[in-house]
Amino acid sequence: MAQYSAQLDGVFVALADPTRRAVVRRLGHGPTSVGDLAREFPMTLPSFMKHVRTLESNGLIRTVKSGRVRTCVLNRERLALVDDWLAEQRRIWEARTDRLEQFVTDPEENQ
Amino acid sequence: MNPDLDLALERIIRAPRATVWRAWTDPSRLERWWVPAPSRCRVDRLDLRPGGAFVARLSDGGAEFVPHLDACFLAVDELERIVFTNAIDSAWRPASPAPVAMTATITLNDHPDGTDYRIVVRHGDPEARAHHEKLGFAEGWGTVTAQLAALTEGGQ
Repeated sequence: MAQYSAQLDGVFVALADPTRRAVVRRLGHGPTSVGDLAREFPMTLPSFMKHVRTLESNGLIRTVKSGRVRTCVLNRERLALVDDWLAEQRRIWEARTDRLEQFVTDPEENQ
Repeated sequence: MNPDLDLALERIIRAPRATVWRAWTDPSRLERWWVPAPSRCRVDRLDLRPGGAFVARLSDGGAEFVPHLDACFLAVDELERIVFTNAIDSAWRPASPAPVAMTATITLNDHPDGTDYRIVVRHGDPEARAHHEKLGFAEGWGTVTAQLAALTEGGQ
């Protein structure tokens, strides 16, 4: 749970910036090279690369280098962390209730 | 209930209400079911009264016990209801718990088959925590989620 929470924190950090959210949206349509992405944002390449690194270090994207071209790919699983946040809480409580039920209906536990 | 933030569970448990209550209120019993095996739980404080402490630690894979829950009871009605929140800790200090602040209400009622067991968990808005950490979400949580949904459905 703690690990999950740390991952979620990272996702929040990564998505807390409009440029990074735009990059995520753009990559939703498919892998794109850093060069092509950078052209869409009004900032210097080093500034843009910082955003790419933040997205990558928080697991929202991965980058693959082929020759001189670095391509960014969206990690959908990590995004699902956010979408599934409430579902995850529900799963935790459902499972907890399952265990409670098992515990209180076990005759040996409740002599 | 806010369906975007809160969850409700309802279960008929085939055991007497007093048995379910005891499983919740006896620390040595609570430890047995609170976390999934192989993780182990240690309940340090279970002061079942309004304002009382609910503190538990967790151990994964035989590692040392680390903080898991530092919460406060809001209401305790014998055999009927337990309400606790992690929005303030056991010392009544306002907290920013991970992954999010929540208030859990557990209600027990008699049922012909045993116990009518209900849980409502009300969550704080995750965005509030993001603000708290000065991350400055420009858009609301719902918007972000909607965008992500659209994005994940719209990709290959």
